[in-house]
Amino acid sequence: MLTVITGGSGSGKSAFAEKYVTEIAGESRKYYLATMQVFDREGQEKVDRHRQLRSGKGFHTIEQPTAIYEALEKMRAMEREEAVRTPAGEAEPDRAALLECMSNLAANEMFSGELTRTGEETADKILREVEQLSRGLQHLVIVTNNVFEDGVTYDASTMEYIRGLGSINAGLAAMADEVIEVVAGIPLPVKGGR
Amino acid sequence: MRLIIGGYSQGKLRYVLQRWGAEVCRVWDGELPREEQAQEAAAGGRIPVVNHLHSLVKKRLEQGGCPEEEIAAFAQQHPDCVFISDEIGNGIVPMDAFEREYRERTGRIQVELANRAEEVVRVLCGIGQRIK
Repeated sequence: MLTVITGGSGSGKSAFAEKYVTEIAGESRKYYLATMQVFDREGQEKVDRHRQLRSGKGFHTIEQPTAIYEALEKMRAMEREEAVRTPAGEAEPDRAALLECMSNLAANEMFSGELTRTGEETADKILREVEQLSRGLQHLVIVTNNVFEDGVTYDASTMEYIRGLGSINAGLAAMADEVIEVVAGIPLPVKGGR
Repeated sequence: MRLIIGGYSQGKLRYVLQRWGAEVCRVWDGELPREEQAQEAAAGGRIPVVNHLHSLVKKRLEQGGCPEEEIAAFAQQHPDCVFISDEIGNGIVPMDAFEREYRERTGRIQVELANRAEEVVRVLCGIGQRIK
């Protein structure tokens, strides 16, 4: 099952997403796919804050700033190393993953110092890789960001990024079983829903 | 306590004044009332409405204050109050550190108020949707 969770900065989407994955994961092994690259103290503080939110919830963290489908190989390697037992008759353990956050993954795929992919190329790559990744998981919850409503015209590469993330969000929502918008910490169903 | 949120110019204040009656509401703009003002309003049976809460947050951050504590304390003392705030987090994360902090902290204040509020309304095109 694929769930997309969207919201603005400070909307409480991360806290909600972490709680939500924990609820739906059941017996699945829980993974946290971290896409943010840390460059400074503020970034580190954000990572620490999210770690704090997750602590005690039993997530296995995988750093995956680009090429998101590679996270699946890392999960398998981790499971081999820990000799994780698979359910009877299954080749692999049940997995639930929380990918946070699509806005960072998109930026990482699109820029590395300079613009390396167009918005559409980025969207195609990410949507393809998410699809591959989701096939190895029972639940995939993706947190993305609403960056679309400030009415500002930015420089050309930022506008390209906004369009790219817009395509990604629309593509993810089309694939998803459910889409939830978080407003002031309150989840509002946009598509599907349990 | 009630929280009314929505984008810029969506008719949030008008929604409040129509719903509870302009004569019943006493509106403060971008600031919390002083305690004697709030008491005077309460004595007259008026509902204290704090409009443009996000501006209040910005102003207090610029002044080095702690808007979280001030707002929480006011909400606790005046459980009939209404807060109105723009949603300002739905954009590109700003380059400027203060602007980032302002958006983040305003968002978290909204989450905290929503958590404690008896009702949260999101106003879009003048229409209020009760989301809690």
